[in-house]
Amino acid sequence: MPEFLETTLDKFTFRVAKDRLYTPQGAWVFWMKPEAPNRVRIGLADYLQQRSGDVAFATVQPVGTGLVAGERLAEIETIKAMVELPSPVSGAVAEVNPALDTTPEVVNQDPYDKGWLAVIETTDWETDRAKLLEADVYFSAMQVEAQEELKKL
Amino acid sequence: MNTDKTRVVVVPCSGIGKPFGTVSREAAYELCDELRPDSTRLVALAKLVLGDAAARELVGQHPAVTIDGCKQMCASKMVKQSGGTVANEVAVLDVFRRHKDLKPEGIAQLNEAGQKLARVLAEEVAANLDSREQPVKGASHV
Repeated sequence: MPEFLETTLDKFTFRVAKDRLYTPQGAWVFWMKPEAPNRVRIGLADYLQQRSGDVAFATVQPVGTGLVAGERLAEIETIKAMVELPSPVSGAVAEVNPALDTTPEVVNQDPYDKGWLAVIETTDWETDRAKLLEADVYFSAMQVEAQEELKKL
Repeated sequence: MNTDKTRVVVVPCSGIGKPFGTVSREAAYELCDELRPDSTRLVALAKLVLGDAAARELVGQHPAVTIDGCKQMCASKMVKQSGGTVANEVAVLDVFRRHKDLKPEGIAQLNEAGQKLARVLAEEVAANLDSREQPVKGASHV
């Protein structure tokens, strides 16, 4: 169980797992070392899943699909919007969370663990890694964004 | 015959701004006005929130079907907080997952797919009601 950074804004509480990296858009990237040093697991951060709303369907590119960082990894349809998730890394899809087929709500219920989306076998991890944010940096940026969003309510 | 024992109250979502809330209300109207007018009674969630005595009494005396627009499940929670019993807890999202082609759009006016989804949902609830006790006469809205 990872440790979390946590903030409560208005009636919303957002958590950021400390043991992984993040994209500015709110995807997390968990480096699966030492078991699989070239693989990363990817999912949605708590703030992104809460902001996007209840997930109706989550469609991830099939296993074996080659991706360059920035290409579409997944499409997530929620009650509010269609969220396109670009791949944070280059590589090939190695695993897709089988739970997404039958219980896509797991993305909302457990975004940092059972709600993962895909595992990618990376091809240029060191380059991609340098573009990702440490948890505390993402946490600060997320708080600013969340406060801005709340002003609109 | 004690009709009160077999009447079911229907409590839909009262959220605004999203098509799924509209689907829940359209489904409730379809159910209560068209499909099973004799065995259902519509109760406004807002009245339960306000603590309206008549609405609370209805919910306290009859099993409720709640139709929620999102997973916050406000209708279901409010029925329980009002002392009622939820006999059938329905979420629009769960029905949509079984009917991916019926994506609801529009809020004030649902698109055709949304209207079909509401109809499907209402029919599912009606079928569920049919598996319970025989319906009774006396439908109305509160």
